[in-house]
Amino acid sequence: MSEQPIVVCSFGETRDGLPAGAEEVLHIGRGLAQTSGAPLLWVVLGPLPERAAETAGLFGVQSLHQIDDEKLKMNSSDAQVAALVAYGKAQVPKALLVHQTLEARSVAPRVAAQLGGAVVMNGISVSPIGENFEITASAYGGDTRAVYEVGPGPVLAFIPNAAIPEPTSADPVAAEPFTVDLSAVQERIEVIEPACFDGPRLDDAEIIVSGGRGLGSQDNYSLIEQLAEALGGIAGASRPLVDDGWVDSSHQVGLTGRITRPNLYVAIGISGASQHMAGCSAAKTIVAVNRDPEAAIFQHARFGIVGDALEIVPELIRAASAG
Amino acid sequence: MRIVVCVKEVLDPDAVNNYAVAGRLEIGADGKTLTQTAIPRLMNGYDEQAIEAALRLRDAGADFTLCVLSVGTDPDKLLKHAAALGAEELVSIQVDPSTLDPQATAKLLATQIEASGGAEVVFCGRQASDDDQGVVPVLIAEHLSMSVVTVAREIHIEDEALKITRATPEGDEVVRAACPAVVTITNELGEPRYPTASAKIKARRVKPTVVTPADLSLSADEIAPKVLLKQQFVPEVQGNCEFLEGDAAQVAGQLLEKLRAEGTLQ
Ligand SMILES: Cc1cc2nc3c(=O)[nH]c(=O)nc-3n(C[C@H](O)[C@H](O)[C@H](O)COP(=O)(O)OP(=O)(O)OC[C@H]3O[C@@H](n4cnc5c(N)ncnc54)[C@H](O)[C@@H]3O)c2cc1C
Repeated sequence: MSEQPIVVCSFGETRDGLPAGAEEVLHIGRGLAQTSGAPLLWVVLGPLPERAAETAGLFGVQSLHQIDDEKLKMNSSDAQVAALVAYGKAQVPKALLVHQTLEARSVAPRVAAQLGGAVVMNGISVSPIGENFEITASAYGGDTRAVYEVGPGPVLAFIPNAAIPEPTSADPVAAEPFTVDLSAVQERIEVIEPACFDGPRLDDAEIIVSGGRGLGSQDNYSLIEQLAEALGGIAGASRPLVDDGWVDSSHQVGLTGRITRPNLYVAIGISGASQHMAGCSAAKTIVAVNRDPEAAIFQHARFGIVGDALEIVPELIRAASAG
Repeated sequence: MRIVVCVKEVLDPDAVNNYAVAGRLEIGADGKTLTQTAIPRLMNGYDEQAIEAALRLRDAGADFTLCVLSVGTDPDKLLKHAAALGAEELVSIQVDPSTLDPQATAKLLATQIEASGGAEVVFCGRQASDDDQGVVPVLIAEHLSMSVVTVAREIHIEDEALKITRATPEGDEVVRAACPAVVTITNELGEPRYPTASAKIKARRVKPTVVTPADLSLSADEIAPKVLLKQQFVPEVQGNCEFLEGDAAQVAGQLLEKLRAEGTLQ
């Protein structure tokens, strides 16, 4: 392939059998490859997800590469960086796109530094301008959008913020192995106790009920759990609840928590600060319950209930259970 | 042992949010910067917690010099706050931040750290609340060939290495990192302390060391930004909320009915 490609890389976290956010970033990658007249490559680090070949076809990927190595397990950022740098040197991409997971936040800047390109996080969209790129990114927790121009060969990380259109069907693209010698890599960080979260994840949830500071006390959070259960969803929270130790950090929705995209997001006693909305604005339907009719959350909600959470939520639980 | 904490001055994110919610957040004539001069400037919240992380190591008996670094033209308020909290060395790297990008900022900070004798640990906030990029700490580590551990909520020094609890989306993870290392701090670390009144008065007399890129032998080229801010705008929120009216049982019933009718709920 002589033409410099647009490369989408996926690594680490998986969701629904695919790397987290892979489809969103492939969608962005396909758009960028088309507008800049470049082929689209997809490189997956570690084990190949089941639906990878099919997904590659759906998003117009020319070649699907897999770099697999014992060293590319979870939490192996030194190996991930080394693999992507080697891959980048071999392919000389016009741009390297990743989904912004917590891991990507520490891998992407290092890859950019070693390949000599720029790095931008929190990307929402990107377009080519000549050899350069213009990337629109979220800033101030979502209160503003910053438009940056970067030169050739950047590493760009994206956060999903809208549902992507259903891709049209196409033939699967068989994965080809891409070999990188990682024998010299020695991980500098040793994991003593891995994080062990085994419940359903907010990222995958179709229905989320989140509670905020408006609940008043930790005991009242059980109302959120009950409503989530009655609706067949899972419970989330705003950051103050995590800071105060009411729930652990796996529950936090937002800019610095989970970025979710459920069908239904119910926000109870949450003001709707931009940093919270960054984690739920991709929801199809948002419902808000808040005592303050002027609360920002109502600007995002499809349905609003003005009132005391402690009066409304028990009725919601009753109504949902009756369904 | 020497611990360096890097701090940044930002616009108060809560105030920015309040302006945004009220629909009064405006971008200036340059098309790039927020115009609200009434918005207070303060130390990035996560950076305050990065200082707190160092102070907790000191509380636990660790013996080190605490150096606080900031890039900007007017870091006095930030650095005096750090001095009042117990920082012994204060360094102001004098560059207009609007001419920099995260890579240039990291280059300046890493070069200063190296030139001033290095560090066993560099603490930074996980990201700045203005551009939310979170790239600077990782690039400092890259420049100094240090490892980087992100989103730390608890740090202990054990056998000259760091034992760090990370608040990950999957729950807590405990890792060990040899020094030197860059560690980024997340909000789960908890409330940063306030300096005492007498420490604040004493800190007023402290003069930060002022450093320029030339002092660090960095040419304009070496700190030229690769990421250029061209424009900033305030995104629109559509806002088509339908408010449900009635008593608690009525609104609950209506809501469930509507969600089922729309197919959002089965
Ligand atoms: C850099 C940065 C990153 C951040 N990341 C995140 C993040 O990832 N996630 C996140 O959530 N936040 C994040 N925040 C914090 C965010 O800015 C807000 O402070 C936070 O989301 C507010 O949480 P809240 O809505 O629960 O509380 P508040 O803002 O205090 O809102 C409470 C709401 O409850 C309502 N209320 C009070 N009593 C009742 C009642 N009885 N019944 C009904 N309603 C009631 C009030 O009217 C109010 O609207 C971040 C902030 C910064 C600066």
